[in-house]
Amino acid sequence: MRLSQSIILLALGFVPLSMVHGETLIQDVVDSLLDAKMQQVNITAAPVADDYNILRRTTLDLIGRIPTSAEVDRYVTSEDSDKREQMVDQLLQSPAYQKHLAYDLNLLLSPAGNNELQSYLELAVTQRRGWDQMFRAMLLGDYEDELERQAMKFVKLRVKDLDNLTNATSSLFFGVNISCAKCHDHPLVIEWTQAHFYGMKSFFNRLFENGDFVGEREYGALKYQTTDGEQLDAQMMFLSGKAIEEPQWTSPDAEKQKAEKKQLEQLAKDKQPVPVPQYSRRAQLLDIALRGDDRSYFSKSIVNRLWYRTFGYGLVMPLDQMHPSNPASHPKLLDFLAQDMSDHGYDLTRLIRGLVLTQAYARSSRYDGETRPPQMWFAVANVKPLTPQQYAAALLFGARNPSQFVSEDVVKAQAEIDSVHAQARTLAVKFDVPSDEFQVSVDEALLFSNDAALEKDLLANREDRLIGELMILSTDAEVVATASKSIMNRPVTKQEQRVMMKYLKHRKDRREAAVIQLVWALLTSSEVRFNY
Amino acid sequence: MTLQKSFSRRRFLGQSTLAGAGAAASVMSLDILKSEAFSKQLKQKGKRVLLLWLAGGVSQLETFDPKPGRLTGGPFQAIQTAVPGVEISELMPKMAMRLKHTAIIRSLNTKIGDHGGGSRLMHLGRRDEPNLSYPDMGSVMARELGRLDSKVPDYVTFYTATEGRGNAVGHPGFLGSRYAPMFLTTDNKPQNLRRLETISDLDHRERADLRRVLSARFSQGRVSPVLGSHNVAYGRVRGLMSSEALFDITREPKSIQDKYGPTLFAQQTLVARRLIEAGTPFVKVSRAWWDSHGQNFETHLEMVTELDHVMSTLLDDLQERGLLEDTLVITLSEFGRTPTINGSLGRDHFARAWSATLSGCGIRGGTVFGSTDEDGQHVKDGEVGAAELFATIYAAVGIDPHHEYYVGSRPVPLVDVGTEVISEVLA
Repeated sequence: MRLSQSIILLALGFVPLSMVHGETLIQDVVDSLLDAKMQQVNITAAPVADDYNILRRTTLDLIGRIPTSAEVDRYVTSEDSDKREQMVDQLLQSPAYQKHLAYDLNLLLSPAGNNELQSYLELAVTQRRGWDQMFRAMLLGDYEDELERQAMKFVKLRVKDLDNLTNATSSLFFGVNISCAKCHDHPLVIEWTQAHFYGMKSFFNRLFENGDFVGEREYGALKYQTTDGEQLDAQMMFLSGKAIEEPQWTSPDAEKQKAEKKQLEQLAKDKQPVPVPQYSRRAQLLDIALRGDDRSYFSKSIVNRLWYRTFGYGLVMPLDQMHPSNPASHPKLLDFLAQDMSDHGYDLTRLIRGLVLTQAYARSSRYDGETRPPQMWFAVANVKPLTPQQYAAALLFGARNPSQFVSEDVVKAQAEIDSVHAQARTLAVKFDVPSDEFQVSVDEALLFSNDAALEKDLLANREDRLIGELMILSTDAEVVATASKSIMNRPVTKQEQRVMMKYLKHRKDRREAAVIQLVWALLTSSEVRFNY
Repeated sequence: MTLQKSFSRRRFLGQSTLAGAGAAASVMSLDILKSEAFSKQLKQKGKRVLLLWLAGGVSQLETFDPKPGRLTGGPFQAIQTAVPGVEISELMPKMAMRLKHTAIIRSLNTKIGDHGGGSRLMHLGRRDEPNLSYPDMGSVMARELGRLDSKVPDYVTFYTATEGRGNAVGHPGFLGSRYAPMFLTTDNKPQNLRRLETISDLDHRERADLRRVLSARFSQGRVSPVLGSHNVAYGRVRGLMSSEALFDITREPKSIQDKYGPTLFAQQTLVARRLIEAGTPFVKVSRAWWDSHGQNFETHLEMVTELDHVMSTLLDDLQERGLLEDTLVITLSEFGRTPTINGSLGRDHFARAWSATLSGCGIRGGTVFGSTDEDGQHVKDGEVGAAELFATIYAAVGIDPHHEYYVGSRPVPLVDVGTEVISEVLA
């Protein structure tokens, strides 16, 4: 393994310092390959973002909330040369990191609006299970194991529609959307034919729902019709085109079928799972998908998804179109990371850590040059819409009295933070889950503009809220500075200060209302709505 | 995913409100006036659609395709209409007199006979696909007929009943939240259109200005479509708030209110007319619940009578205001009802041979397209499905039904490839 990494690096004439000590760091490889490409296409990267920006970005990405004012102070005043690495490792060790990753994985893996997989994902992430283990558990989990029983929701929620299950599995785990190949050979990708779609579907065609469980039969074939009207038998086939031979099987006679039906009814009644057959077609998919060269679909797909989650744009876009006619922007980099993933037990956190420690991740999202470089070069950070959970947390933390999170007692301060963070779940239901081409809806803007409950939640003049704290400050300058730091996690600029102080000054006769409006304008500003 | 549409009128007109439109706008504006695309866009200008969604499945036999004297016909007679040779159910005497504005399509075979699946099909005009989220008709209309910076809502839907509401949810799919409906369920007024009493109008406006200034600073050097959409959404708030009065029918003269009558369906249809008049391109008013598995004839006696009154009042009102020419009124369900009358004197779900109507804009009034056999069990001629119906609806308001959106590199036509418009019903 180490040898292959070294070869890649040497081929580029790049030897990171850390290799002297014998270890190749993900972040070094990423940066060297991104830099090489930028040089090749003659693009200058945006400068590195400031500490405030990096802390907010990393905290949102890793644990799903904004930092508190105290956390901001601690980070920016630290003079440790490796403070960024320390901050990242501290975040990665917190329970909030596991919760947040599980939340995002659930958004990815569950049908819209469903969170039945989340508890499984949270435990799997906490136990640092590999992505391959999670994949196995979600497709062929052992019902005797309480954790894997929950994982099987992936199949259970889709088993009524096997086309959907086939597509979801292929898109989410292999980065290949083959739905176009259902009715005809794929029009854009010569590699994908109807045989591929039905070949993939054959891995699932014996699945059925039995009570609370998913069962699989030992028999059953899948037929399909070509565009020429020819009726064909589907054969199990992986995306790579490898067909799978299976042992002879026969359909049971009527009597056996009757007995089987009776047995299944009894199992459903007793709330017992259906035993997995000796020969499982599903198990064949797990074998081939994680074997040898075929594994690269699985490895590259998770790398691309985590890359997208971190950078707001994939190495391959769209995420479910990873096929030869749509190559990666950085093929060597994708290969390297996929190999690293599979060499390290599909440890998601290892990759996430490497990516957030890159220089590319720390670049500013602001580009003042003439033409903003295309996203595919990662020369400038993307502005990413927050997920409902992140946005709710950003609002709630921003609107709290910042002194609430400060205490001599570290445990107590953390408990306060966790308590506010937990409330984000309720508020989150009001916001849309961002998709690739996300647009903020006018309903959201109307909600913020005129909803009484939201106003009560975020803009109350109470001791535990930001407004309560601002009302006891003596100068407008302090009000502006405290509010900006709490909500935007940074010092206010001169220009902003001027605008906000003018706003307050014009409303001397109604100071409380003025302060509330100021906080509203900050909370609803674009800076809070996005990770930038 | 990227969504492209070249030469869109709103993209063109709305450039200034979209961050990052760049210098291309001025170059394009020179060419676009000459282009064929632009003249096509003019045809869509000012066109609107009002969908009367008859949730649960209205019976074609008790409305637009009666079979009097047959075993399947039920107790009601057919009556002559203003169009010679065309008869409809006696439950619709008012529409019978006004049929010259309306085309009836009697030959729908849509194949899906459950409420959920049927409703999805008749909202999208096609079947769902697992990995591509299609927009429904309302979202397509909002995009094609609306203005990006519109001060009135461009897609409003009423659904007060709880039965079947989850089936009839509008969904912008890959077009994005900008084209999501304002979905009214509990009230005739949308939520959050009215300023709270805790803030004065002046402060409400000025805090929005402050928000805009702060966000504009942030947007510098960070141009992106998603960031632009955030500010576009806030930019529409004040305009939409000023449209609140549109939802208040007490602002209509008493005579008009009386014409529509006191039922909820009638009142919501009147709101719909007010919205249409103010420029909202798509409104859906839902009337539930037509699912008459038992007592079909009592149910239809009551509900068709109301439909007849509301629909004819609406057509009269639109015509008097000179709006009918530009407004397409549709009646549609998820399916029709079985000709066979069941043991509970009900009719069941039936997607094999049923009817829909199109009135007003772009429609050749008084036409009947297609027919069913004498018992109404099968389509006799002119069989069409959801795709043909949707293609025809788009064509009626000047939208090319074969227009393609791009989702990534994938072309997605408005209706499935190979679909033909029912040109017989188009003016």
